[in-house]
Parts: sequence; C-alpha cells; structure tokens
Amino acid sequence: MSVEAQQGIATPRIPAGLGGLLPALILIGLFFVVPVLALLLRSVTDPAPGLQNYAALLGDGTYARVFFNTFLVAAVVTIVTVLVAFPVAWMLAIMPAALASILFGIIILSMWTNLLTRTYAWMVLLQRTGVINRALMGAGIIDQPLPLINNLTGVTIGMVYIMLPFMILPLVGTLRAIDPMTLRAAALCGASPLAAFRRILLPLSLPGIAAGGLMVFVMSLGYFVTPALLGGTSNMMLAEMIAQMIQSLLNWGLGSAAAFILLVVTMALYALQLRLVGSKRAVGGA
Amino acid sequence: MLLDYDRLGWLKVALLGFTALVAAFLLLPVVFIVLLSFGSSRWLAFPPPGWTLKWYQELFADPSWVEAALTSTRIATMTAILAVAIGLLASFALVRGQFRGREILRGLLLTPMVLPVVVFAIAIYAFFLRLGLGGTTIGFVVAHTVLALPFAIIPIATALEGFDKSIEDAAIVCGASPLQAKLRITLPSIRIGVFSAAIFSFLASWDEVVVAIFMASPTLQTLPVKIWGSLRSDLTPVIAAASSLLVALTLALMIVTALLRRKLQT
Repeated sequence: MSVEAQQGIATPRIPAGLGGLLPALILIGLFFVVPVLALLLRSVTDPAPGLQNYAALLGDGTYARVFFNTFLVAAVVTIVTVLVAFPVAWMLAIMPAALASILFGIIILSMWTNLLTRTYAWMVLLQRTGVINRALMGAGIIDQPLPLINNLTGVTIGMVYIMLPFMILPLVGTLRAIDPMTLRAAALCGASPLAAFRRILLPLSLPGIAAGGLMVFVMSLGYFVTPALLGGTSNMMLAEMIAQMIQSLLNWGLGSAAAFILLVVTMALYALQLRLVGSKRAVGGA
Repeated sequence: MLLDYDRLGWLKVALLGFTALVAAFLLLPVVFIVLLSFGSSRWLAFPPPGWTLKWYQELFADPSWVEAALTSTRIATMTAILAVAIGLLASFALVRGQFRGREILRGLLLTPMVLPVVVFAIAIYAFFLRLGLGGTTIGFVVAHTVLALPFAIIPIATALEGFDKSIEDAAIVCGASPLQAKLRITLPSIRIGVFSAAIFSFLASWDEVVVAIFMASPTLQTLPVKIWGSLRSDLTPVIAAASSLLVALTLALMIVTALLRRKLQT
C-alpha cells in the first residue's frame, strides 16, 4: 500500500492522469487516426461512391495473385525464421554469460544496422556475379549461377535475415522461464532426449513460438522495402502493390482499398496475438 | 538434461555449430559491406582487386549525400526530443492513472508500431498533401513522431512500472512538491528507460524509409531516401561507403548504450 493511500494526501488522480495523455492523444488522433480513417473513406468514395474498388481487387486474377503471393511469402518466412531461431534461442538461454553476451551483441548489431544497408548487402551478395554464386561455382557445386535474387529465394533470405532477431529475443525469454528440473525429471524417468524434447521442451516453449511467429507473420505481410528490392516483378507483394498504385498509377481509390484490406488482416492477427500473450508483452517485448 | 548446458553431450556440439552458423549469417552483410566500401572495384568484385578510399572521397565530395545526412540528423533529433517528451507524459498517465479504458488507450498509442508502415505512409501522405505539409521538415517530424512514440513509451513505461512509487511519496511527505518529487526523485531513477526511449525513437526516424519516400521532395531528402534512390539506379560502391558509416554509427550507439547502462546501474 502506498503512502498516499494511508495518509490521504492523494492529489486527484483521474484528471492528472488524463492530462498527461493529452499530447499523445492529440498527436495520434490528429495525425494517425484521422488520416487512416480518411483513407478508408476514400476507398469507398474514389472515384465514385460504392464498393467497386473492393470488387475490383477481390474479383481480379492479377490482384488475387498478389494476395496469394503475400501470404505465401509471409508463411515461408515465418516457418524458416522459427526453425532457424529456435536452436539459437535455446543455446542463448543456457550458454555461459560471456558467450551469450557476444551473441547478443551480434544480434543487436544486425538488428540496429540500417535496413537499407542490410538489404543493399544482400542485393550485392546474391546477384548473378555475386560472392555466393562465385563461391558455389568455385567449389564446383554448381556450373551455372543460381537465380538467387528477384525471386522468392531472394525475398526469403532477406526477410528471414531481418526477422530473426524479432524471433530469437522473445524466445530466449520463454526458454529461460522453463524450469530445467522438469527436463532433469524426464531424463531420470527414462525419457530419451528426443522424447523429452517432443513432450516437454517443445510444448513448454510453444506459447513463445506462437507469439513470436505470429509477430513475424504480421510484420512480413506488410513489409515493403525488402520485397521491393530483392523480389521480382512476377511475385510482387501487397505493400509494394499499394505503394505503386498510389505513387506511379495515382489510383487512390484502388490503393486505399488495398491498404484497408491489409489493415484489417493485420489488426485481426494482432488482436489474436494480444489474446495469446497479453497486451503488455505483445509488442517489442525483448 | 536438455536445458543443462554442461550435460547436453553431442547435441551441444551440433547446436553450437548451428548457432555459430547463424551468427555468421547475421554478421555476413555487415562485415561484407564494410570490406566492400574499401574495395577498388566499381563493379563490386569480391574479394576486391585492391584497396582504396575513393568511394568515401566521392561520398563527401557530393553535397547531396552530405545534405541528406544532415537532414536525417536534424529530423531524427527533433523526433527523438518530441517522442520522449510526449512519451514521458503519456507513460506516467498509462502506468499510474486509474481511469477506465486505460488498456485501450495504451493499445491505441502503440498501434503505429503494428500497422504496416505503408498504410500509414499513404494515409499521412494524402493528409499532408491537403494540409500543404508534404515535403516539409515539420511534416517529416510529425509523421516520424507518430511512428516513434511506441518506441518511447515502451521503455519509459517499463522503467516506471519497476520504480517504487512510495519513494516519490516519501519525498512529498518530506515537503517536496509533486512536480519536484517527479523531477528530482522519479526521473533520475527511470533514466535508463528514458535514455533507451531517446535512442530507439532516434533510430525509428533515422532508419525510416517508407514514409520518407512518400514525404520527400526534390529539395528535402533524408539519407534513406537518398540511398533508396541510388539503389534503384545502380549499386555503386558509394552506397557501400555511406552504409559503412551507418554501421559505424550503429556500433557507436551500441557502445555508448552499454557504457551508460553500466554507469547508470552502479
């Protein structure tokens, strides 16, 4: 119990509390909520009132392809990220502190480095005459350069690279929270390592995997920069299509409608994630 | 035994090997770009046929790169100051206020972090076109502050939750005004949170590409817009030089953060 509750010196809290929120609410209300609502309005009024923009988006094969491709890329990226992140988070959770801090340093360096810098590096590394193709050809593994860029492979490599820290860091927290005694008990009772993994470690870390995986999936769905630079024209993703509709085609009605579809899908998945982990830990909990 | 580091046996070797590979994967682009920026090949041949500083000379000789970097610094600094100030006020209200709908308001203030940036980018672009704020520094700062606010609120609110309010109350009992108590007792105690908020919101603006692409005008470009434009035309090594300087900046920020954390915690 706090001092003020005992001694009754409390200043009126409710107005004070709301007063502090005022600048933030004005900023977000005026420059976030209003513009987004205006965009929604535009999607049903531009060029004429009605739902024709949505009908056009959902009824056309070209757009359907973009939607399908967006979900495909996001799903592939999420699965690969989870598979790569899990062993790393596992080791990070139990390795000696000195070693772990080096690894954390590498993860933070990669995460904090400018997004375009990292994407530029992958553009150079993955190109036809790039280091990776040359190394593989030099080693005699391939005779022709592999098409690693301007396709799904390039996008997946680039996106997994960016998403890994967002999966590893929360997972370390989940794994550290597991009591090692549960696994010792399993071993004592004769469980093989595989059985202990399948029946104890994996189920106990599943909430962390689900929450992190959902976050990666949601982030991937709306990603713009990396797919635009590493992907090809034949597998364009939704965010890039929206930007193109507005910037090059000046088709505000269609662009707004596509943006609103992206918004609804993202927010629905975000709400699901909130239910999984609770609002405080849902975002940015590292 | 799976969570006992010393008793994993052969599994430890395999997992550590895999972890080392992932660490190399994470380091690869960063190290590669720095090496490339000193390479003499215009066609980005690797390993480079020779070493040179000419890409850095080209970078600094081009006023548009220097100007873009200065613009980015200016906008990111203003964004960080605004986001921390607004975030600080909001965090006190969110952590301590007892009113209905607190969780909903918290969710609302954090939404810009979750909504795909491209949606916000076109929304604010259209809005600012109407207000005549497109392509202006104010427009940039306002839009970036919206995006940076969650990155300011999260660390400050977390620090504030970990702070024992009865210490602030004790100062008030001893005669400090509530404002004095907040400024002289509470604020110094949550300084790590405030400091993280400043770094994160600075980076949120400094690294921001998507809103910037829409907002930029021929006369007002941030560094990411400049890099984006160059990337679309060709992969000149000058970008590698600019990128290496950004890597150096990241490293410097990491070191400052680590040192300050150590100093503040003792």
